[in-house]
Amino acid sequence: MSNAGNVPPAGSSMPPRQKAASMSTYKRMLRKEIRKRAGDHEANFLNITAMMDMMTIILVFLLKSMAASSASIPQSADLTMPKSVLTTEASQEGVAVLISKTHIVLDDQAVVDVPQDASHGVEAKFKRGGPNDLYITKLGQVAKDWRERDRQIRIAKGLEPAGSEAIIIADKDTPYRLLVEVLFTLGQTEFNKYHLMVLQGVKK
Amino acid sequence: MAAEPEKLSAAQRSRVRKLATPKELAPDEEGGELNIVPFLDIIMNVLMFVLATVTTTFTATIDTFPPKAGGRNPKQIEVPTLGLTILIVPEGFSMKAKGGNVGPGCDSIGGGLAVAKIGAEYDYAAVTRCVAKLKGSNPDFEAETNVTISANPNIPYSTVIATIDAVRKSDDGKELFPDVNFGLAK
Repeated sequence: MSNAGNVPPAGSSMPPRQKAASMSTYKRMLRKEIRKRAGDHEANFLNITAMMDMMTIILVFLLKSMAASSASIPQSADLTMPKSVLTTEASQEGVAVLISKTHIVLDDQAVVDVPQDASHGVEAKFKRGGPNDLYITKLGQVAKDWRERDRQIRIAKGLEPAGSEAIIIADKDTPYRLLVEVLFTLGQTEFNKYHLMVLQGVKK
Repeated sequence: MAAEPEKLSAAQRSRVRKLATPKELAPDEEGGELNIVPFLDIIMNVLMFVLATVTTTFTATIDTFPPKAGGRNPKQIEVPTLGLTILIVPEGFSMKAKGGNVGPGCDSIGGGLAVAKIGAEYDYAAVTRCVAKLKGSNPDFEAETNVTISANPNIPYSTVIATIDAVRKSDDGKELFPDVNFGLAK
């Protein structure tokens, strides 16, 4: 860079022009300024991407584990499980049979309607041999289908195929007669073990 | 005295400012990374909603078996058994063992309810005491863990579960009858 022309002409009112710095100074100042501005730019916002990633993973994990656990059983006016002093872990083995105030559900399939007054069990038209019979025909058919599938799976897995298990999730106000009808029907279709699901939390 | 640092001229300062300003990418140059910030905002809101609304319920299961048809081979019976059956009726609990019907107060054999209701409530504590007393009446009953529970058709499930809880353990934590079978009142 030339220093010529840095001195204003005589008689001029303009201030004297600054003499240009050397090339090494110019480059040093340029590097310093670039570093400074780059630093300023990076500090403009907080990088929360890593935290967001973590939150996403937690959300997916929560949703998955909740869907698979018994905590996903809806507690509503239609189905409220009774409480027990038991503190053991709930068994997850077997098909879920729900007995709500309005339906009997096996493997997510509503099978039979429950009448308003269920102290005599389900309606006689759903039973094999009239009102005094314990066998619920449609429930038996659906349970038999499930049992056949479970038998094939048990054989393939090398488990004992002689009987299947059922998790009974019943409303706390379910009359004893209706409960026995369901247990009897399942027993007739080769279910040999029942897990009665209850809520923990009662002190004896 | 140290030499005064060399100063840049106005033209040099202007040029430094121009060269040091970070270049902003043109819209067509920004395609290198997908902007997922709005998506992550939604995820964050959903997560907060889930955490705020979830109610954790702890469950347990009581294992039972279907009543077995047919009688036991008499040759296998080597020790006396209690053979306790509890019938839940709207007025209280009726208990029956092989020796006969358990009388009121759980003190003797006789008719009536072994444990009557107190007011409108079932007396589960009395059931526990009575069952512990029956089990302790003979050392041969110590190993017996089976009880048959039956109820009137209109007795609610919660009462049945509470009765199962009452006969499972004594007040001092001793195991009584944890294995439950269901019967049907005739």
